Amino acid sequence: MSYDAIVIGAGANGLVAAHYLARAGKRLVVVEQHQVPDLSADIGWVPPRVIRDLGLNALRLEQPDPWLTIPLDGGGTLELSRDMARSVEAIRRVSPADAAKWPDFCARIRSLAGVLERLYLVPAPDIETRDPRELARIAGLGLYVRRLGKQTVIDLARVLPMSIAELLDDWFENDALKGALGALGIWHLKQGPRAGGTAFNFLHHHVGSPAGVFRPVQSNVTQTLNETKRVEVRRGSRATVLAENGRATGVVLENGETILAPLVVSSAPPRATLQPLAIELYPDFARAVGNIKARGVVARGTLTLGQAPAYSNLCIAPTLDYLERAYDDAKYGRASAAPYVEVQRTDGNRLELHVQYVPPGTQDGLEQRVAQILNVRPDQVKLQAAEESLYHGELTLDQILFMRPVPGWSRYRTPIEGLYLCGSGTHPGGGIPGAAGRNAAREIL
Amino acid sequence: MKRYDAIVIGGGHNGLITAAYLARAKKSVLVLERRPRVGGAAVTEEIFPGFKFTMFSYVVSLLRPEIIRDLDLPRHGLHILPLESTVTPMENGDYLAAWADHDETRRELCRHSLRDAEAYDEYGRLMHFMAQAVKPILSMVPPDPTSFAPGDLAGLLKLGKHFRGLGGERLHALVKLMTMSSADFLDEWFETDVLKATKSASGIIGTFLGPRSPGTAYVLLHHYMGELDGVFRAWGFAKGGTGAVSEAIASAARSFGAEIRCDAGVSKVLVRNGRATGVVLENGDEVSAGIVASSLDPRRTFLQLLESNELPAEFVADIKRFKFRGSSGKVNLALDSLPSFSCMPGIGRQHRGAFSISPSLDYVERAYDDAKYGEFSRRPYMDIVFPSMIDPGMAPPGKHVMSIFVQYAPYHLNGGWTDAKREAFGDTVVNTVESFAPGFKSKILHRQVITPLDIEKITGLSEGNIFAGELALHQLFFLRPAPGWAKFATPVRGFYQCGSGTHPGGGIMGASGRLAAMRILKDGA
Repeated sequence: MSYDAIVIGAGANGLVAAHYLARAGKRLVVVEQHQVPDLSADIGWVPPRVIRDLGLNALRLEQPDPWLTIPLDGGGTLELSRDMARSVEAIRRVSPADAAKWPDFCARIRSLAGVLERLYLVPAPDIETRDPRELARIAGLGLYVRRLGKQTVIDLARVLPMSIAELLDDWFENDALKGALGALGIWHLKQGPRAGGTAFNFLHHHVGSPAGVFRPVQSNVTQTLNETKRVEVRRGSRATVLAENGRATGVVLENGETILAPLVVSSAPPRATLQPLAIELYPDFARAVGNIKARGVVARGTLTLGQAPAYSNLCIAPTLDYLERAYDDAKYGRASAAPYVEVQRTDGNRLELHVQYVPPGTQDGLEQRVAQILNVRPDQVKLQAAEESLYHGELTLDQILFMRPVPGWSRYRTPIEGLYLCGSGTHPGGGIPGAAGRNAAREIL
Repeated sequence: MKRYDAIVIGGGHNGLITAAYLARAKKSVLVLERRPRVGGAAVTEEIFPGFKFTMFSYVVSLLRPEIIRDLDLPRHGLHILPLESTVTPMENGDYLAAWADHDETRRELCRHSLRDAEAYDEYGRLMHFMAQAVKPILSMVPPDPTSFAPGDLAGLLKLGKHFRGLGGERLHALVKLMTMSSADFLDEWFETDVLKATKSASGIIGTFLGPRSPGTAYVLLHHYMGELDGVFRAWGFAKGGTGAVSEAIASAARSFGAEIRCDAGVSKVLVRNGRATGVVLENGDEVSAGIVASSLDPRRTFLQLLESNELPAEFVADIKRFKFRGSSGKVNLALDSLPSFSCMPGIGRQHRGAFSISPSLDYVERAYDDAKYGEFSRRPYMDIVFPSMIDPGMAPPGKHVMSIFVQYAPYHLNGGWTDAKREAFGDTVVNTVESFAPGFKSKILHRQVITPLDIEKITGLSEGNIFAGELALHQLFFLRPAPGWAKFATPVRGFYQCGSGTHPGGGIMGASGRLAAMRILKDGA
């Protein structure tokens, strides 16, 4: 059987790219290294265009309400809800001043996230281009941003390079609130809340959420795409791209089987995809791929409880300094003595854990520490530290837009003809399942 | 009473440069300086009999060459002597040295890593080019991207063209420099830890950031911007100390007819009908002028010299948000004789250059960690020079002066700075140097310890920030000091800002003072 295209990886981006390509009449196969589909929920905004285009009627999007439960120092909790008035009321109990600023803060951040949403549904602007169409598109984007008003332009320039700690300190006084919001700014980054650019990371994870909700939506988009059976998926074998004379020719599976196709689209991390092909790449490009920062700092896993807890999303990040100290440990190659822990309840009453910072190989004693923080037995906590960034490349300011995955190659292409990238390592990055897949497929077509 | 065309508040280097340019354009100008001498943070003082110190700032390399030319500063006594080398002692007793001779530096690097020695030249070429690419920005009035005025649009277009003209690879390098941490940026080039440490240490000077904090890579460029020579570290030392730089500019200003009055602190700017009309001195005297320019930092310029009802509320909020967070201190020592560093024993040419106490990235990062939580560094980063080795006039014959720039010493120290804490800080500095140069302590004749609080008290720089406001990405260019007001004008007509708190700011560069003068003249003062 011959194929027009091979897609590597059956995660959200790989499957979305595959479905778009299949829709356009390509005969293709998706190859996935894991035998059993991953059950965990997809975290982040699924662009409505993807849902519409691919007719994902069975898709469930979930944003719990209250969307965050924050334990307070002297007992009790602070609960943040989708309803603005209820959040304001809850915050008022810990800080009237912060409560007064909350709606304005939410509105300002919302309008900045709106700009990102627009940027994320199209390929990153190519600032080197001489193509009049691309120039017109960039001018259009510029004009669109300026039409949003002077304040938004200033906010964008000020906020993006800021640290989340500075941004929050500008607005709020309550430590618990700042800690819980600040945690979103360091998601999947090997950086602390005082690092410049963490305010951008905060905005990135607000994309697609309504004003006042600062935790990404959860969905079952991967599962839904898997179940539609519109594309052939072959599981259980890791694929390596084959290339000859600067052209992709197909993939070879671990069992030695070769599948040939003139088009290979990889949702695997850019480095994993490209490094085996180093001989086909020119040295500067190979070096840039080697320089992609994708340091693993997150351990994910599950929490098992006898009965469903009272919260749906619990955040342990009591202060910004707590997060900063957790990061300090990672700087020197240790797991955080007191890590940031978040428990998310997904629809099947699974409790998923996000623990940060856990550099690879530093997992000893982590489950005990997390159990202690959550006040449960160690055997109720199961954690696995990621070797590499789950986003295939950290979302720092030097690795976004036209700098992602490597500078100048943001158009999903690679120097190898017929080989495309479509995973989280490409624009717009992790935490937005399907966006990179859709952009890549459109670019290919 | 005499009415001046312009009054410049503050006789630091930027204020003096503004005054000199205005006077050169035949304006009658009065400079008002609170202290008994001009210079602001660029002063040379004889703190102990016979021993002269550049109290605060201690090196020069960024002073814009067009200013040196326009004001003919060499004729007014400016003489810059090169600082030839940097030696970085390591904790294992070894060292990394960079010498004025490029080949020697290369051989030294080869001793540590052949790969790094190879990468070093390529790195140097890229950085040199990037510095050239950034320079025009320093001499440019930042366009306002929120404005639809033709001048701003043209400015933005020009900026876009300039950057695109760099070509892809260099444009990407620029983005990386603007956004990355110096540690990450250097990781892409080098493997020798001490090389990365000593280079990144220069990226943290004056900031409240560590070598692993994004935004510090940009400062690496500054080392390639100096126009003294194309050497490893193009810093220079002014004969007579940095005070001599101020004196030279003051002399140039006077030669153009400017009047400089010391011991004349300004307490208020007079505003009538939204227009500045003069100033009130601390002694109650009033002086009137058509134009008033302040070289003080933004906080004092707007929140102290003016009443808040004279400014838009939004603007006041922006200025209040402007971050200072001083992070550095200075220890000035009078020495009986030069100390010998155990990594390179004896007294020699290494003493004519700098010693950088930055033995490893983790060392510098840990120094920052202490400051983050409100303590001064237990093992601080230090940049040490012996000015008397470069300019023998700084100390009595046979004796020496030693200047130690220290980071981090946070302005907001837990419990606040006290005399006891200052001495403890001084002890920490001296003990740390002692650990690299045993026997050094016994050579100390006098010691002066300057904390950020002292810097604030003496020079007036808010929170002791040596750059008159942090040089963070969100406080640069059209955001410095506040969005919409980065073009030296202020919401009060006839009132201008000309200090380091405006674009491009920082260091003894003088670009702010010059650009402000241009703006004032263009507005038809």
